[in-house]
Amino acid sequence: MKYLITLITLAVTGAVCFGIGYAINITYFNDKTPTQPINFSHKIHAGDNQIPCMYCHIYADRSRVSGVPNVARCMGCHKVIKTDAPEIVKLTAYWDKKEPIPWVKVYNVPDYVHFTHKRHIKAGLECKMCHGDVASMSKITKVSSLEMGWCLNCHTKRDVKDGRDCWTCHK
Amino acid sequence: MSGNPIKAIIERLKEFRRPGYYKNYDHKWTMVIDLDRCNGCEACVTACYAENNLPVVGKEDCGNSRVMNWIRVERYVAGEYPDVKVKFIPILCQQCSKAPCELGCPVYATYHNQDGLNVQVYNRCVGTFTCATYCPYDVRRFNWFTYKWDAPLEQQLNPDVTVREMGVMEKCTFCIQRIRAGKDKAKDEGRAVKDGDITPACAQSCPAGAFTFGDLNDPESRVSMLAKSRRRFRLFEELNTEPSVIYLKKVFADGGGNPPVGGHTLAGGHPPVKEGHGG
Repeated sequence: MKYLITLITLAVTGAVCFGIGYAINITYFNDKTPTQPINFSHKIHAGDNQIPCMYCHIYADRSRVSGVPNVARCMGCHKVIKTDAPEIVKLTAYWDKKEPIPWVKVYNVPDYVHFTHKRHIKAGLECKMCHGDVASMSKITKVSSLEMGWCLNCHTKRDVKDGRDCWTCHK
Repeated sequence: MSGNPIKAIIERLKEFRRPGYYKNYDHKWTMVIDLDRCNGCEACVTACYAENNLPVVGKEDCGNSRVMNWIRVERYVAGEYPDVKVKFIPILCQQCSKAPCELGCPVYATYHNQDGLNVQVYNRCVGTFTCATYCPYDVRRFNWFTYKWDAPLEQQLNPDVTVREMGVMEKCTFCIQRIRAGKDKAKDEGRAVKDGDITPACAQSCPAGAFTFGDLNDPESRVSMLAKSRRRFRLFEELNTEPSVIYLKKVFADGGGNPPVGGHTLAGGHPPVKEGHGG
């Protein structure tokens, strides 16, 4: 009897600890919405000011990667716009130090996957089909799982040529 | 299919085994290797190592048959000096149309795709070694360890090719990353892939131009022309594996060509004397 009580107590304690840990992990260490070095808001840029995606992510239609804009591209506007805002001061500091901004990657595809933005853009997909409604996000959140099932769902639905062959994506 | 779902699955799997199933390829990537031009310099081997992130395992592991070359050049020597006849034959994955390796895999890590290529999926592979056991050409290589590249060398790894880990089988892919790039370029220009668009690393590096790569489905391609040659043979043709690699046999100056009979038969009626093994 005593043995049983000890066992149950241990199990309950374990479950509670796991629950608390899980909750903390999900709330504060969730890599779906990472904290970026500069609190950049897509809502202000793409939403309010209607800047097209490919004004900054210039390689999306001609390369595998869409390209994170370099600091010079940011400074192109922010030399004159809102130079005294606290986040822009941070940006100017990077510019003065001649250092790239250490952005945290949100959408990451494993090394064994060959993914090209070019092919998808040229097939007529819109950015928001995978990246969600970025224009309304003040902080970028990962909305797609980027798992293989998620890829294949779309490839099957759109009947992509050879879209289900392993060597189309895996290398 | 009515009723039994297991029966339906079995029927589906049987489909792959049926003769003629593989005839409806989009492309039929084929390599022609002219043995008359091969002088055994092994530039292809080096190029393959560089292109496909192959680890250099070192002397000790090499002795334990853990060498990771996807292509090797075998040497066949006959006769005594000065009447020596030497033949070199580069051997890579033959991308068999009826591949024995595909039959054994319990997890479908190796299968035939629509381009007539024998695909190896690293993520599926559980390392049962069955495919390597079934392969009559001994071209499949197993990762016994996770190999590391020393400090500056990891900078030259090819980003288009996965770095494999311990426990997976690997083999020549006909440089799938280059095939993919060639198709990609053709698609951008709005045309079909034409002959010469795609060159695997071994073919590109060969100083004698012994390798030719192309689409056998295209009757105008260089490989289609070369495949009609009277010197044509394929390795172990009697096994009915239908390799995609076609060899053009070496012709010696005296007209006869082949070293005297001895040892085991290689292929296409070539009975060479085997003295040294490549590598």
